[in-house]
Amino acid sequence: MIWLTWRQFRVQAWAAAAFAVVVAAALAATGPHLFDLYRSSGLADCTADCRDLADSFMLQADKGLTNVLYAVGTIGLFALPAVVGVFWGAPLVARELETGTHRLVWNQTVSRRRWILTKLIGVGLATVVTAAVLSAVVTWWAAPFDVANDGRLAPALFTGRGVVPIGYAALGFAAGVLIGMLLRRAVTAMAVTLLAVALIQLAVPFLIREHLVTPVTASVAFDPRQIQSMGISSDNSITVRMAAPVQGAWELSNVTVRPDGEQYRGPVDPARCGREAGPRTCNEYLGTLNLRQEVTYIPADRFWALQWREFGLLVVVAGLLSAFSLWWVQRKVA
Amino acid sequence: MTDAVVTTTGLTKRYGRRTALSDCTLDIPAGHVVGLVGPNGAGKSTLLQLTCGLLTPTAGAIEVLGETPHTGSPRIGFVAQDTPVYGHLTVADHLRFGAHLNPGWDKALAEERIAELGLDPAQRAGKLSGGQRAQLALTLAIAKRPELLLLDEPVAALDPLARREFLQGLMAYAAEHGTSVVMSSHLVADLERVCDYLIVLVGSRVRVHGDVEELLGTHHRLTGPRRDPGTLGAGRHVVQASHTDVQSTLVVRSTAPVDDPSWASDRLDLEDLVLAYMTAEAGADGRDRVLEKR
Repeated sequence: MIWLTWRQFRVQAWAAAAFAVVVAAALAATGPHLFDLYRSSGLADCTADCRDLADSFMLQADKGLTNVLYAVGTIGLFALPAVVGVFWGAPLVARELETGTHRLVWNQTVSRRRWILTKLIGVGLATVVTAAVLSAVVTWWAAPFDVANDGRLAPALFTGRGVVPIGYAALGFAAGVLIGMLLRRAVTAMAVTLLAVALIQLAVPFLIREHLVTPVTASVAFDPRQIQSMGISSDNSITVRMAAPVQGAWELSNVTVRPDGEQYRGPVDPARCGREAGPRTCNEYLGTLNLRQEVTYIPADRFWALQWREFGLLVVVAGLLSAFSLWWVQRKVA
Repeated sequence: MTDAVVTTTGLTKRYGRRTALSDCTLDIPAGHVVGLVGPNGAGKSTLLQLTCGLLTPTAGAIEVLGETPHTGSPRIGFVAQDTPVYGHLTVADHLRFGAHLNPGWDKALAEERIAELGLDPAQRAGKLSGGQRAQLALTLAIAKRPELLLLDEPVAALDPLARREFLQGLMAYAAEHGTSVVMSSHLVADLERVCDYLIVLVGSRVRVHGDVEELLGTHHRLTGPRRDPGTLGAGRHVVQASHTDVQSTLVVRSTAPVDDPSWASDRLDLEDLVLAYMTAEAGADGRDRVLEKR
């Protein structure tokens, strides 16, 4: 069964290996220069107030081939679960059911259990290895950019760094196999899998991730110098947006509150924060109100804890889907 | 030989509300080439897939070679309808996975057959003609050296020449190795040449089954003055009756010869016999039916 699985999958396997090797080689070739810039810009050794150093590093590094590679690496890791699910997972069983070849192979001396297990483990392993290699080189290579971009806990980066890409790829593959098995049509299954993977990649970061580790809540004195933006309406209500008080964290909420703990929305004194008054008088005025800034965030040092928990969750779900596929193919498919 | 290769009791398979096979009780003796004949949708594929374990019965029981059938058995070879093969794999690839997946694989037999058929081992199976594809599927099924070989409409898509070659190859193999074969078709002519045992399946039910010689010996076409078929007497089962104003034609199953001088008695050939059972079923709803006859 291993031979047949390999024979059916070898073209895709070679394509994946070639892609991974090309990406790894390109990143390995450009990596040393990138890390030289990272050190020479001073960003590598910076511990506080690094915005200017980060900007100067980005100005030097984020151009030409490096820029392209960054895009390829990031988009590649985001798209990998969908690609794997659609092209490896969905047709794996669906194509056999569609063309009737399951009736051929199941009447060799091989149980359905061994047939599906070999396919799941073989192609699943290829999925995991591809994702692991790509994520490892991209995570290593993009580290200076991630520092310059204020950390990699931001939802947009977190999904494409560390170990979670492996979990997403495994889940995409397992979902694809099951969807294909249930729908029995390769093309339909591929479309549905694409949709399912996209939903997973949206639902996990925005609905589930923040519950995986305990966030930190901090309350700091209102500092008018940290105001990022504010908007004043004609009824004198105000919304104040403050800069993040901690570096590299994933901010879940950031509100300005009154001394009694309610969110501050004004009204403001029109003489000091009105059309005529300048922003400076308004800032000074806000500084006299005894406001506080309350921030809930996941600090940068929880990055790996969050990575492993999310990875664990994804792998468990992928395992459950595969177990269901295993049961279904033995009981319900003919 | 008296051992049964397939024994079913009250075997029933339903898909939702549709009954594909109902209350089928059969004993198929070993060492025969069995023809399973019936119109399209009669339940032939269902019976064969129950026999190889691809399907599980809704009710009743089936025993094949003394055990409950399951897929992946080394003892049963199955050629599915439309003879599926892996289109992107070559002929040689098929033989290789056959060798990998079957402990009892007869490499010499497989290679010999492929050479005899003139198939190019490097050819992709998707590029083969219908006849060549059927031959490849048959080669895979017999090279695992099964005790029972099941074929579901193997020649339905083939032209007459390919049909004859396929059936000849099958016959040669079955005669040489003594393998029991069950083969379905909706055309009696295909089975007539090769089968020595017949099962007629119409409308999800088994209408008649038995040794071909015996079936031919016990079925008679009687022609005589018009009369009620009920007056024939015991031991005689009227399969089909048709009447004109003055004359009745009956197809009768009877172990004893019909010696009533008012009847003219004829033998039937296999095709007439099968058609009588099919027509009897069609006649039940009061309409004539065009039956496939080659």
